[in-house]
Amino acid sequence: MNAEKKSLFIHSRGKQIAAAAAAVILCAVFFFFVSGKGKKKTVSASEELFAMDTVMTVSAVGERAEEAVKASVEEIRRLDALWSVGKEDSEISRLNRHESVELSEDTARLLERAVEIGSDTDGAFDITIYPLMEAWGFTTGEYRVPSEAELEELLQHVDVHSLDDPGSGTAGTSAETSGRDTDGTEAGSDLRQGYTLPEDVQIDPGGIAKGYTSDRIMEIFEEYGISGGLISLGGNVEAWHTREDGSAWRVGIRNPDPSHPALSSAELVGVVEAEDRAVITSGGYERFFEKDGTTYHHILDPYTGRPAEGGLISVTIVSSDGCLADGLSTALFVMGRDKALDYWKEHSGEFDAVLVEEDGSISVTSGLEEIFTSDLPFTVITS
Amino acid sequence: MWKRDAALLAGFLAAGAALFFIFRISRPEGASAVVRVSGQQYAAYDLGEDRTVEIQGKDGGTNLLEIRGGKASITEASCPDRLCMRQGSVSRQGECIICLPNEVVVEITGTKEELPYDAVAG
Repeated sequence: MNAEKKSLFIHSRGKQIAAAAAAVILCAVFFFFVSGKGKKKTVSASEELFAMDTVMTVSAVGERAEEAVKASVEEIRRLDALWSVGKEDSEISRLNRHESVELSEDTARLLERAVEIGSDTDGAFDITIYPLMEAWGFTTGEYRVPSEAELEELLQHVDVHSLDDPGSGTAGTSAETSGRDTDGTEAGSDLRQGYTLPEDVQIDPGGIAKGYTSDRIMEIFEEYGISGGLISLGGNVEAWHTREDGSAWRVGIRNPDPSHPALSSAELVGVVEAEDRAVITSGGYERFFEKDGTTYHHILDPYTGRPAEGGLISVTIVSSDGCLADGLSTALFVMGRDKALDYWKEHSGEFDAVLVEEDGSISVTSGLEEIFTSDLPFTVITS
Repeated sequence: MWKRDAALLAGFLAAGAALFFIFRISRPEGASAVVRVSGQQYAAYDLGEDRTVEIQGKDGGTNLLEIRGGKASITEASCPDRLCMRQGSVSRQGECIICLPNEVVVEITGTKEELPYDAVAG
């Protein structure tokens, strides 16, 4: 520092004050700049969108969070266009009209997963349930109670095994061997030219599509080096890594019946601390209608064609496989408590579950013991 | 002379830092109900001020948002299922009311009391 520099700001009293004020403001701006710069390393981005007949939020933290969220939204829109039963030119709509469809890799993979989960659960999850969903009006909102005869007739075409090996026998492994291409057109299609659904069979991807989609978003998060992310596709939640402070994401499980005497004190069934896990809940409360004093919910039993009466009011599946979690939340709801827990015991390495019964009692499988908390009493099930 | 410059500089820095923090702290943090339509910001209303506003949703659909006693609720809606009206009132950070047909989301932000979870499955 020399006298010349000093003279820059100490000339007269007025200028001195002005210079001091300017310097103070400059310093403040500098701090804003520095604090902004510090944040730039961990940008967070979030978007809300309406797709697949529901509301979705995608949130991510990381240097490329904005790109990752944008790519995720585009992926959701792309898959929605492929699978929407409300869009006439979607692959699923065309399949349901029994057209011969050159399946995209994503649709082929979706069908493979659906058949796999359907077979493993002995048809408790069945993607061929579509004609029944339509008969009850769950696809349109024009609800009605079909007659026994109508259900009998429709049930003849509900059989996930009729879809065994969609495409061809060799195509079954294509998804694993060919790797993923982001636009999902090339790799699978040459193996799956002209796939047609069996006569009278129609499919409803609704029980698995959101789980598949959330797994795709996790792949995108990985691609963009996201350090933490949380997505909710209409209440299907999947957590990527951790929150910014390094702790696990806290995913609440909706109370399926706040008017229930045993559940009324709680806002939630409980909270699961999730890291790289999907938390997916199915319950009759999600969609239902009333007719002549009886409530009919949307989770249909593929064996009876009627709303499942397994004694459960909500089933939550926690798994690193979102697609599996989505399918199993429906399957275990259909199975009922005892069969559901038997199924878990045989597959305890793949998922965990929280079951809420009609009497309000809560069962939690042992893999969640350390990460599930609740204000309500619950029983831990061990295998 | 060098000492005086350093002191002056330190003084400016301190004053600047103080100004920065004052700006930070005084940033408005009042609780509000943020309304989004089709994912786009639509409006934000102070929860401390009672009012009733009509929200113009997707495809001409409407929802009547009522803010009363620090809580927000939907009291009338053009949608067929009226599920938004059944969702009751919200007042805590992160709580939402959603109307799917009109693509309207009302979310509470800026309250002191935070929810003990990041998302809800179901």
